[in-house]
Amino acid sequence: MRKVFDTGNAAITEAAILAGLNFYSGYPITPATEIAENMSRRLPMAGGYYLQAEDETAAFHMAVGAAMGGMRAMTSTSGPGYVLYADPYGWAIGSEIPVVILNAQRVGPVSGITGAPGQGEFYLSRYPTHGGNFETIVLAPEGVRDAFELTIEAFRLAERFRTPVTVLADQLVTDGWEAFEVPEDAFELERLGLPLPKRKAHQGPDFYPRSDGIDIPPVVLGRGTGGACSDWTPTEEGYDTEEIEAQMKHSYRLIYKIRNNRQLIDRSVLTRMEDDPPVVLVSYGSPSRVVRKAVKEGRAKGLRVGAISLKSLWPFQDALFKKDKIHLVVELNHDGQLVREVQRASGGRVHFLGRCGELPTVSELLEIARSLFGGGRPRPIKNVREAW
Amino acid sequence: MDKLSEKYLRPKKIPSTACSGCGLGQVHKRVLLAMDELGLNVHDVVWGTGIGCAGRQTFNTWKGDNFAGTHGRVYALAAGLRMALPREKKIVLTVGDGDAFGIGLKHLLHCARRNLDMTVIVADNFGYQSTGGQFGLTTPPGSVTDSSPYGLGETGWLGPELDILEILKAAGATFLARHLSLDGKASVENVKRALLNPGFSLVHFIYPCLTHFGAVSLSERDKGKVITWFKGLFEPGAENPDLERLNRRVDPGFLKLKRGLYVDASGSRADYSQSLKDWTKNLNRDGPDPVGTGQGAKK
Repeated sequence: MRKVFDTGNAAITEAAILAGLNFYSGYPITPATEIAENMSRRLPMAGGYYLQAEDETAAFHMAVGAAMGGMRAMTSTSGPGYVLYADPYGWAIGSEIPVVILNAQRVGPVSGITGAPGQGEFYLSRYPTHGGNFETIVLAPEGVRDAFELTIEAFRLAERFRTPVTVLADQLVTDGWEAFEVPEDAFELERLGLPLPKRKAHQGPDFYPRSDGIDIPPVVLGRGTGGACSDWTPTEEGYDTEEIEAQMKHSYRLIYKIRNNRQLIDRSVLTRMEDDPPVVLVSYGSPSRVVRKAVKEGRAKGLRVGAISLKSLWPFQDALFKKDKIHLVVELNHDGQLVREVQRASGGRVHFLGRCGELPTVSELLEIARSLFGGGRPRPIKNVREAW
Repeated sequence: MDKLSEKYLRPKKIPSTACSGCGLGQVHKRVLLAMDELGLNVHDVVWGTGIGCAGRQTFNTWKGDNFAGTHGRVYALAAGLRMALPREKKIVLTVGDGDAFGIGLKHLLHCARRNLDMTVIVADNFGYQSTGGQFGLTTPPGSVTDSSPYGLGETGWLGPELDILEILKAAGATFLARHLSLDGKASVENVKRALLNPGFSLVHFIYPCLTHFGAVSLSERDKGKVITWFKGLFEPGAENPDLERLNRRVDPGFLKLKRGLYVDASGSRADYSQSLKDWTKNLNRDGPDPVGTGQGAKK
């Protein structure tokens, strides 16, 4: 393995190319622009195509179009572009086209602050399109090395589950510089399962099986299979239908292929949870780095705290959260998104610390964590933000 | 089923679910005739469709591979698909006037700019008819429709002063033609030219809708009378005893449409998908770092 010191954007680019990326389409947007730039430089060298689109809607449609033609395809963006993906995102979910999306979250709402970390698309990544009747797969790196590994994993999951996969990063992950390891020879590539096996084409005639099965090759057009992809409710063969029965079967597949095989998706890091600590800090993305440091320091000071760092967000890992714990959810927004899911999943006492554009400090995390012991409530901090 | 549909279409989708008297089938047939005359086979073409009458009625009728895009975005899907398909595979898109000239115009223009090899058949029924007959981007001025009950005041893309085909020409389309669905051999010839152009081609077919445009804007559901009115769009001098009556709810100043070939610049400009493929293939992978980052392109 070769040790590289570079940004998350570079790690994502290299990972995608190693995974076998053939096609990238994107549109410049801070803080994901460097992925597009890196792709324009590196992807042609690997024999792949870089296409700069007229907007994000087109960028994602182009990636889906290339994937529909049998290519391994991806796009990347930040919040203002991610919201424009709504249209093709739903199309790719319904037609079951594997494609990877990287979202480097910045500060919102709207254009907000471009070069600072935010976590405002937690729920948008669960509901990236209209209509319901689907589950999404969302992975969340907390650093450069994670970004490298989870990008590869995203391609694997997209193919196995026949669905778009979002890697939900944040600006600190994509712009941050860290060391990560890149495989150098065939043996190391193989050990990482790289490059991924060539994409397979479904031979039909039943392109949309009514099951929760995975590892079914996706529909690929241009191979003479008579395959059909559309935005309509499909019959097994891909014909459009208005039958409620067919729609129910289609929905069942889109939801349960993911729910029933979630063990392939679920990812988390548990820190000092072995002795069943009463207070648990919950986070994903770059805040997890501070949270784990706080746990370490807290333990050194005799505070029995633990941490759950999520590395996959959707489907949500309800089983990790227990009612008898006091959860403190730390995330990069002021409205509280992850905290709602934790509250729903645990059904217990849940508190919230929101920061945006910057990370919380270890000392303030410790101060709040300490206040939660013995049934205490955290003191509202700055701007009198009442904790949950 | 005739010989042509037996060869190219899926029996499950015949007969079509289009309204009685709809001209869409004629448009579809012109395209199939052109393919037949060129000797194209089912596996030579991937067929895409948009949303609306033209899209929904033609989706998955093709015996080969099919896709139906989101409304107005099928051009961007086709752009990505173009990169994945070998040069010899053709992409044909049948879309409506709203899909191409309204919601999808931006993506359509960019496909024309890149001269991506695809043949877009715009089957134009003068408005949003599948949603019940609202005016669209090509509805004649003055038309009374379900969403312009006092007569359409807005300027569309179709008329002597403002013609969408001129805009597409300026955007770089290398083949453009306009026909009425009733046009016979001339329209088939132009579809053939469009299919043979290794770049962006668009054939604009205007076809009569009896259910909405005919019934509401012309106050006439008789197929023969509506067709005669449509013919008059291209031939202002043509005799039509009903013209005055039918034009009560549309603007007769509209009748100056050019028919037939607009632009044939086939092969004059490269298809960007092909030049990108060629460029990538021939890229000097041992060359110097292109941007001077010190990292080297090859790494």
